[in-house]
Amino acid sequence: MTDDAAKGISPGVQLLVKAVRNRPGRAWLAVGGVATSSLLVIALVATLRGAANSVVAYVGQDGADLWITPPGADHFLRLSGVLPAVLTDSVRALPGVAGADFILRAFVAVSWRRGGDRLRLTLYGVGYHAPDGVGGPPAFESGRPPHTRREVALDRAAARRLGVGLDDTVFVNGRAARAVGLTKGTNLLVTQFIFADAAAIEATSGFAGRASFIIVRLAPGAHSDTVAALIRERFPDVGVFDRATFVANSQRETGVGYTPILAFVDMLGVGAAAVLVALLIHALVEGRRTELAVLLALGAAPRTLARVMIGEATRLIVAGGVLGAVLARLLALVLDRVFPVIPLHFDLRDTMWALALLIACGILASSIPIARLGRVDALEAFRP
Amino acid sequence: MTVLVLDGVSKTRGGGAHATQALRDASLSVAQGEVVLLEGASGAGKTTLLAVAAGLLTPDAGRVLLAGRSLAELSPAERRRHRARVVGFVFQRSNLLEQLTVWENVLLMALLAGRPSGEARRATNEVFEQLDIGHLAPRGSGELSGGEEQRVGVARALVHRPALVLADEPTGNLDGASGGVVAEALATCAKARGAAVLVATHDARLEPFATRRVPIVDGRLGEGRSPQ
Repeated sequence: MTDDAAKGISPGVQLLVKAVRNRPGRAWLAVGGVATSSLLVIALVATLRGAANSVVAYVGQDGADLWITPPGADHFLRLSGVLPAVLTDSVRALPGVAGADFILRAFVAVSWRRGGDRLRLTLYGVGYHAPDGVGGPPAFESGRPPHTRREVALDRAAARRLGVGLDDTVFVNGRAARAVGLTKGTNLLVTQFIFADAAAIEATSGFAGRASFIIVRLAPGAHSDTVAALIRERFPDVGVFDRATFVANSQRETGVGYTPILAFVDMLGVGAAAVLVALLIHALVEGRRTELAVLLALGAAPRTLARVMIGEATRLIVAGGVLGAVLARLLALVLDRVFPVIPLHFDLRDTMWALALLIACGILASSIPIARLGRVDALEAFRP
Repeated sequence: MTVLVLDGVSKTRGGGAHATQALRDASLSVAQGEVVLLEGASGAGKTTLLAVAAGLLTPDAGRVLLAGRSLAELSPAERRRHRARVVGFVFQRSNLLEQLTVWENVLLMALLAGRPSGEARRATNEVFEQLDIGHLAPRGSGELSGGEEQRVGVARALVHRPALVLADEPTGNLDGASGGVVAEALATCAKARGAAVLVATHDARLEPFATRRVPIVDGRLGEGRSPQ
């Protein structure tokens, strides 16, 4: 057996592969186009995924085993009801409960004076038992939790938008507070979180003695269903949800808001990327007509040429797709550092789907001119 | 031995208002060792005749016998394989594949003709030696002069020892000296290899190598005559 035969590809086919290969400049152009499309699709999907998952880090944080909600509320994002804060003590006394803390959630106006400009953002204010109570920031980029009523920790994207740094003084509903922490996993895309002691939020929002949610930490060995059933029995008007259900409900609620718009934009982007890839590959195949005509005249089999052309198209699309995926990850790293306002969430499965879609589009697009190979006029080889 | 027979061949190109009768009742035989010049103006039907002879175009009427086989009786795949084995082409522009080296361009033709890899390599080396173009082997086609390109084109046409070489204005793009070299290479090497050569041309530099000249006017073949 010859080396060529051992590779499973005949020497003739190897030469055909080389013959129809595009010049480096044109090939790189195609790879760049596919990479741009791939980057666009993956980034759009990551934005959509980031928006949908934005609430997970906070709602799914450790220690929040059960969420008690006002009547009718089954998620974190939008509600107008409140609970009596004293209910927390009653819950804390139940068997199977290791701890319970309430949080008070209210939209707050945060302003900051930079130079002569007054910047203002409306943020999701979360009051909790600072500094160590459940319901505080899930993670910090820098700094620490607030220790007093005059301290706040705010989402790093909000801080970036306001131009606020650690130890700067901001105004929360008109009251001065020092920014002592920049938090992560607290960006809902359309708004961000700011954390303060519950007493501070009570004072600025007029919700004294009220709670938005009560968060329950289970005792070791306690079962969430059993404790939830007990809470429902004792306090029939409230809602009780385990962590997984509350996270899922909150994600669903995210989807009701801006996710459909993002999904629509994503679909347009994916469509545009697919068309771009299709056009690029179509042009590449059409650009080899003369070589194909010569090869057909010399006696190359149309079916073999079709296989070779599809292989060449696939090579370029895969190279471009992988390059785009790598660029998307780099973009995410850069964005996270310089402009964390857009939460990107990369999922390997999304990337694989995006690549598969673009490869399929490219191969489909290449197959149209390839299917017409039989109609390539071998007489083109005779044209001067 | 007769290599090519065209018997009463007619062919219309294009359709509708643009239809042109490119060949009209054309009959021609070419025997082994012959160098036949097909002489006519542009649009006279020379290229169409070559394409019909190679089985690239199917005639509307008449029959074509190529190396003993009637092309009409072959399937498209059989016709393609037969063409690859028994026909060598020299085009007006060399049509070398730019991504291949000169040596690979010639080797590919031997492989397309069905030669096993080792034999194809030997045949390629042999034709390079015969045409004295071994020094061009590793170059890309873009690194060759026009004359060098056409000599490589001749090597590609001859490497698989075809029964018939079809050449379409092989010296049309070349200056005087280069054209003469290519004409001589084509005629002498083809003869040495026992191939018949049918050349569409109006280049007088090929006449010294011709055994017969056949005029073609508006798709009609005239009486063949031996060169003076």
